[in-house]
Amino acid sequence: MAENTDLRELLKEISNKWVALSSDSSRIVGVADSPKGALEQAKNNKEPDPILTKTPEHYGTFIL
Amino acid sequence: MSPTLKFDYRKFPAEPSEAFPRRFSANRPVIPVTLINDGKRIKYLCLIDSGADLCIFHAEIGEQIGVEVEKGKLLDFSGISASNMKAYFHDIRIDVGGCEFDCYAGFSRDLDRLPYGVLGQQGFFDLFILMFDYSKERVELKPKNNVHAD
Repeated sequence: MAENTDLRELLKEISNKWVALSSDSSRIVGVADSPKGALEQAKNNKEPDPILTKTPEHYGTFIL
Repeated sequence: MSPTLKFDYRKFPAEPSEAFPRRFSANRPVIPVTLINDGKRIKYLCLIDSGADLCIFHAEIGEQIGVEVEKGKLLDFSGISASNMKAYFHDIRIDVGGCEFDCYAGFSRDLDRLPYGVLGQQGFFDLFILMFDYSKERVELKPKNNVHAD
């Protein structure tokens, strides 16, 4: 299955949370204040290989 | 011969600003990587960052794979907009697209403003030949000899 790399719509309304994405990044399978919480939701949603990321408080511009 | 790994840039939301009023999207070389410690694995998005000296990940991610963060070797580090940050370094393994390698990586509680882990020069760029193509929105990684490819 092709991997979704356009995360704009999926993530735009989520602020300052840990997010578990499905293995193809097409769906959100968990949202929580911690990776542990997001992974527990992913497990409950029967996602065997979630990908974690964190959403920032504001989607600004990053210059690291 | 090691395969070349190809990853499309990921598109993230962006907020318009006075300087960039039509910027609603940001394309970044962010790829999924699996961090491995004591047989525990976690997959998470990381930014390939040529400006970073080292690889640094969120402390909470390390804790999920059993890393006792503050028992690692301490490094004080700075970014372009913040200083006095602390990371604790541990030996872990990393899997990128089926290529697995050792990495002496930092875990930090000071990455809260960052949505991704950071793959930097030592521990990542030294293990791959990288080619970034912004117009094609693609990054290619060719593993060097010390990277084990499945």
